[in-house]
Amino acid sequence: MSSLLTTEICIVGAGPAGLRAAIAARDMGACVMLVDSEENLGGQLVKQTHKFFGSRGQFAGMRGIDIAKLLSDEVTKDSSVTVMSDSQVVGFYPDGTLAIEKDDCLKLLKPQRVICATGASERMLPFPNNDLPGVYGAGAAQTLMNLYGVRPGNRVLMIGAGNIGLIVSYQLIQAGIDVAAIVEAMPYVGGYDVHARKIQRAGIPILTSHTIKAVHGRQVVEGATVSAVDAQFCIIPDSDRYFQVDTVCLAVGLTPLTELLWQADCKMGYIPELGGYTPFRNENYETTRPGVFVAGDLAGIEEASSAMIEGEIAGLCAAKSLGYEIDDFEDRINRAKTELRVLRQGPTGEKIRQGIASLMQLREECEGA
Amino acid sequence: MPSRVPGGLPKNADAVIIGGGVIGTSIAYHLAKKDFGRIILLEKSYLASGSTGRCGAGVRQQWGTKLNCLLAIDSIKAFQRMDEELDYKRGIEFKQGGYLLLAYTQREMDQFIENVRLQKELGVPVSFLTPSEAKQIVPILNTDEMYCATFCPTDGHANPFYVTDAYAAAGERLGVEIHTFTKACEILTESEKVKGVKTNRGTVFTDVVINAAGPYSAVVSKMVDLDIPFYPERHQALVTEAVEPVLGPMVMSFSRRFYCQQTPHGSFIMGMGDPKEKPGFCISSTWQFLIETAEAVTKALPPVGELSVVRQWAGSYDMTPDAHPILGSTPCEGFYLACGFSGHGFMLAPVTGKLISEIICDEELSIDIHGLDLGRFERGELVIEPSVV
Repeated sequence: MSSLLTTEICIVGAGPAGLRAAIAARDMGACVMLVDSEENLGGQLVKQTHKFFGSRGQFAGMRGIDIAKLLSDEVTKDSSVTVMSDSQVVGFYPDGTLAIEKDDCLKLLKPQRVICATGASERMLPFPNNDLPGVYGAGAAQTLMNLYGVRPGNRVLMIGAGNIGLIVSYQLIQAGIDVAAIVEAMPYVGGYDVHARKIQRAGIPILTSHTIKAVHGRQVVEGATVSAVDAQFCIIPDSDRYFQVDTVCLAVGLTPLTELLWQADCKMGYIPELGGYTPFRNENYETTRPGVFVAGDLAGIEEASSAMIEGEIAGLCAAKSLGYEIDDFEDRINRAKTELRVLRQGPTGEKIRQGIASLMQLREECEGA
Repeated sequence: MPSRVPGGLPKNADAVIIGGGVIGTSIAYHLAKKDFGRIILLEKSYLASGSTGRCGAGVRQQWGTKLNCLLAIDSIKAFQRMDEELDYKRGIEFKQGGYLLLAYTQREMDQFIENVRLQKELGVPVSFLTPSEAKQIVPILNTDEMYCATFCPTDGHANPFYVTDAYAAAGERLGVEIHTFTKACEILTESEKVKGVKTNRGTVFTDVVINAAGPYSAVVSKMVDLDIPFYPERHQALVTEAVEPVLGPMVMSFSRRFYCQQTPHGSFIMGMGDPKEKPGFCISSTWQFLIETAEAVTKALPPVGELSVVRQWAGSYDMTPDAHPILGSTPCEGFYLACGFSGHGFMLAPVTGKLISEIICDEELSIDIHGLDLGRFERGELVIEPSVV
């Protein structure tokens, strides 16, 4: 029988949210174990070569890859946080035990608190041949390129003109890869203007009110058909355009990686603005299962700056619930909550504000029922 | 499996079946084949969502009692011709790779000798094997500590989702109305006669109600004030990644409480009984099961230890005190039982559908099952099955 490991706080996922949660919980004095499925700490930050916006407190102007280094250096500067990298949490059992796979072996960990910061997965689109080699999530193509130095293809069709679609397209161009076009079903570009203008300056067409209809190829992608859509997103007949490409990247949104929370029997609500099923949580980011906290994209799809602040809140509150105290606890919590409010202000934050409002309302309804 | 969108519930029916697992859909089909009239099937969730969709999917004839053997022999025949009989194009994935049962104690070996004698008498093509003969059938078998084995090449397994779907679709073609997401809340009676079923979506009046509610059969029986000794018991299973076919038969041990098979898709499905399991509706998974099963199965089939586990899950056995089902009528007129299968409902579904339809239509039974009635508990005539996991 495998031996049962213990710790006070286990943090699942060492992306921006998990790293910040580990630092906060460590600052409080708690014994922390940080588990991540990858070799490198930093989650998606390690492939983000672009500079961040957001508030100064959250590393605005820095590149994601440098933020990852900064945070992981902080986490590993002494031995107060135990890091288990290359370790995948595969189970969350009713008795609170986590099953972790490392080096083809099963390890069992029974923490007193869990902070889930597993992030998100890329959405897929249904269309003929979407399983042909050469169809990628845009994030996967970015990983190949920026982390492993591998060209995903020679000529790419990007589906989705949100920030990820725009940024990855631009990075593909920087890597010397041809981008044939960006296809967007909405009648407008979803990402920031600054990214869209770079794309347009590079001469790449952004086809709004268009969708991918099919991918063609025998063994691998050889081309794709794109069609125009009407206001109801129905394909307009005879509007097909063929693109000769060897790669199709899907940047059509993210969805929270909630498997562990389902296993933990955390209650969830379906909130489209937050990316799908999202855990109910209170303002301390504790879920409906006492002792299980969430932070980052798992708690609702947003971006790295807010993920880091949520990590700070979850880390502080999880440690506090174990009886740990620091003098500036209230200051740090209030500062974090203010920063979140600021980040979510204005028109770009409207969707998130709406999503969080729906989540809280649905939670109240479920508790009342 | 096609989703069956709930339509309007009719006011009247000739029979209402409670439970959309493999037993309920089999009964619906067999009753419809006898032209029984308007047949309604109620399922509180989706078809095969309960024990059927969670079962180990094995089908065997190697039993320790005559009744179980006879029921299983008849069911195997039905599985063999099911694709054709139910006109099921995609196929139910019935694979007759045999069952290899392993004995690890002298007592178990003695029982196997008994069983084989009985099974042979009833025409089951079973053979008694030495450990080295068993290894010829399953080359990856570790025969350490093994006393003997028995093997029946016509045992096997099928896909429970497809079998349920096949019965449901064939039933629907004959007019059966399936109402998913429709929960039986109350059974209406009048002077100990069934009058109807009240659901969360309206009431259906009927003189015939069949309890095929699996682990919930005690709850449903209570609706007509019958206290029947059914109880749910959690059993767990797991599935591995898919690999090339290396394991023909289902391998099973009663004393070590495990079973393991390789599906046509290539994955290995395995499970293990836990003698400490308490009655209850809990069907969450445990890490203890994962470890114990991995240890037990890889000891018997060492190469399986190389495989990654893809998923684990649990379901409920619908237990009776003697591990035999209760089939037939009850003191409440019009209320029939087809439950208490104690972990073997899937493999007995074809014969159960046939027999229950014969009982309801008051026909001569194709197999004498008077020993499986409800009265056996009062009479103290339990039929104890020695060979279960």
